[in-house]
Amino acid sequence: MLPADCSRRLVAELRDALDACAERQRQLERSLRVSRRLLRTWEPAETPAPQPTPAPETSGEAPSPESTPSSQDLKELELLTQALEKAVRVRKGISKTGERHKALSLKSGSAATSATTASAPSRPSGQASCRVSETKPPRGIQQTVVPARGLPESRLLSVGDRTHMGRGSRATKPGPGPRDQQIPPSAALQAPEAFTLKEKGADVDCWLPQPLWKPCSGLEGGSPQSAASLSTGFPDRILLRLPMAYRKAASRNSRLWAQLSSAQTSDSMDAAATAKTQFLQKMQMTSGGPGSGLSAAAVEAEVGLLRTACLLLRRRMEEVLSADPADCMQEYRCLLTLEGLQAITEQCLHRLQELRAAVVGRQLGPWPVGRRPGASLPCGGGTDPLWSPQLLLYSSTQELQTLEALRLRLAMLDQQIHLEKVLMAELLPLVGTQGPHWLALCRAVHSLLCEGGERFLTVLRDEPAD
Amino acid sequence: MGRRRRRVDRGAAVGALPEAIAALSRTLPAGPSPEIFRRAKFDRPEAAPALWQLLFRVLSPLSADGASASPAQGEPPSTEAQVRAVKSELRSQGYPRQALAQLPEDGSQGSRELLLALAWLLARGPLLERLLAQTRVRLGDEIPLCECEALARPGPPVPRVEADGPVDIRHLQWLMGKLRFQWRKLITSQQEQCALLGKIHSYTRGCHSDRSLGHLSVAETELLRDAEGGQQDTVLGTCPPEASQPTFVPRIPERGAGEWELVARELQALQEELRGAAEPRRAAWEARVGGWGPEWSAVQRASREAVGLELAALQRAWERGGAAAQPHGPCRLVKSDAGASGGPGLRAAQVIEVLRSREACLEAVLCQLQRQCRQELARLAGALPGLIWILPPGR
Repeated sequence: MLPADCSRRLVAELRDALDACAERQRQLERSLRVSRRLLRTWEPAETPAPQPTPAPETSGEAPSPESTPSSQDLKELELLTQALEKAVRVRKGISKTGERHKALSLKSGSAATSATTASAPSRPSGQASCRVSETKPPRGIQQTVVPARGLPESRLLSVGDRTHMGRGSRATKPGPGPRDQQIPPSAALQAPEAFTLKEKGADVDCWLPQPLWKPCSGLEGGSPQSAASLSTGFPDRILLRLPMAYRKAASRNSRLWAQLSSAQTSDSMDAAATAKTQFLQKMQMTSGGPGSGLSAAAVEAEVGLLRTACLLLRRRMEEVLSADPADCMQEYRCLLTLEGLQAITEQCLHRLQELRAAVVGRQLGPWPVGRRPGASLPCGGGTDPLWSPQLLLYSSTQELQTLEALRLRLAMLDQQIHLEKVLMAELLPLVGTQGPHWLALCRAVHSLLCEGGERFLTVLRDEPAD
Repeated sequence: MGRRRRRVDRGAAVGALPEAIAALSRTLPAGPSPEIFRRAKFDRPEAAPALWQLLFRVLSPLSADGASASPAQGEPPSTEAQVRAVKSELRSQGYPRQALAQLPEDGSQGSRELLLALAWLLARGPLLERLLAQTRVRLGDEIPLCECEALARPGPPVPRVEADGPVDIRHLQWLMGKLRFQWRKLITSQQEQCALLGKIHSYTRGCHSDRSLGHLSVAETELLRDAEGGQQDTVLGTCPPEASQPTFVPRIPERGAGEWELVARELQALQEELRGAAEPRRAAWEARVGGWGPEWSAVQRASREAVGLELAALQRAWERGGAAAQPHGPCRLVKSDAGASGGPGLRAAQVIEVLRSREACLEAVLCQLQRQCRQELARLAGALPGLIWILPPGR
């Protein structure tokens, strides 16, 4: 048994660690729930959680008779998207009056396709966007891209186009039809070019997530209706779009952040900065104490840093000492390294004395409750304010997973190092004093301190053979 | 010319003061009215309580909805508690003036001193920006690259019933095992979340009005869905304002001074060892090299430079966590196939490199600590003869 106060402290530390971990887990599960919910409408066949979907969404979730799509389909979908994006760029040249042309042409297009299963793609005439046909999405996609019942009728139309086309032949010119409808809103020119959701619960996005595909037979009947609805609500019905209020707020937000960060670099900031430093100095002088401006937090953090520094310096020294210099050059470098390490160590010691002087001289106050004493590797600068977040671009899910795994590992190592220090401080003295069950204690302490609690050593009594 | 400009500036500044104060009172949480600021300038007692409250709100880290740092409590803490918290926090941040510490705890006096304290906080660092960053709605899927903001914020204080009595060391072992298991579970959940996030980003590609982003985040996708469900107004309100995760917050160390002495001892020991290793080598080297020609000096210089760079890199490893260019704070995740060329934003590959080097550093630190423990235990155990210690395999 461990002494009471020691037990209390250690148990408290470990429970803190467990709580921190549990908090992370809770937040992660919250995010997981949200993400799963969002994906459920796109991949009903894939989600493991068989929760009943709320009413507004059922219309959008016709379970497809097809199974989940293959990665090939996904790839083809991506290629289609790229083609459509190219189309957008082409379309940027089109004037705004082209809207009406589009409306007419789509109507005619839909009428055409509903009447026929011809392989000829519905091609609105007089559209400059016919140029788009040069973008050729892969063929295979034609057969698989179908909407579900609950999709916007406009999308039904576009897919209907393609499906109709696809059934007849392998002609792969879906360009004009879906192009009108599936344009990334980033073109941001005219309303029709943005995406918007057509009906409630049909929260699909710019291209069709796969499980909503169905054989196109159900479409033929729907086409006339789609034509009708198209003619009524064309400009703002076809496309997928974030709510207007949101977009306005978001653009205003980013404008303001940009204004804020540009204000940082103007000349008036220098004057403000000097005024600030002068004010701080005056405060310091009138406070009656010399002070170094350090806070207890900063001192503690630096001491921790110096401890880490000591460990790393020692490690480097051992590396150098154990290496066998092969020639003069290497010997010289070893020598220089050792001397350099010595110089750095002296700097660290000096800094430590300074910190000590600061602490003693200023009688820094007690630690505020609940604050972390300091990380083992804290970030260097706190001066850069947290502006509108930077972008972090990742290219694949594996990359993202590696990144997150590394972050978690760093947090875990941080925690482990802290626990190690705490355990060392508490348990080593106990081993030093021999008491009852000393061997068991020794074994347990060795496992906790030296193996992270994962492995145990064995102790044998060395009985002399009689 | 300069003097004239300065006078003009001051004139302009004086005119701008009321506006600035009005803006300040609008921005600060629980912002006192400009009238309070004016009264505080004249040290009127009635301004004091509002300023105490303001300082409390500003200094105590804000939780998601701007409430005080202790969500466990139903109502804000009492005035005395606020005063005490503010005093202790300011002192720990290094506030130089003693007058503040001497103000009465009922919060009835000292408005001018509080005004000074607020000015000091504003001058020291980007206080307003930090407050703003804490309370803003996070639109994107954010990933905090460095934990310092989280560190500055204590975790939720959970009142805990502690084990008062002595515990067996096996209880500690059990807790450690539980901790390891939880981490493993956490890592798995995180991987799943990444996969889901990747999917959502892929699916919503092209839907964002901002071209540089290209796709929606989870929050925005939720917005889309729920907007269609008719909950348009509420969705903006439910955007998660807090995305960063708290880190491990240990308790107040009860032996704060011990660390300093420990580090001092270790550094001195290291210095001795280095001196012992370097001096004889230097002497031997000088003896050997004494008569060598000038062509040697160029080589020497090159070696010196190389060693200098290595040691500088080593120093950086503990001073700045390995990368001065590492951005602070959360970054918005954007899935993009665009190559490494151009464009704003960090690339995940670079960040991964930096994180790996930091990981190596931390692992080194942990190994070193464990090695010290092993040596110490070996020394203690060696005192008892007649035992054979068989170390576990797999080292």
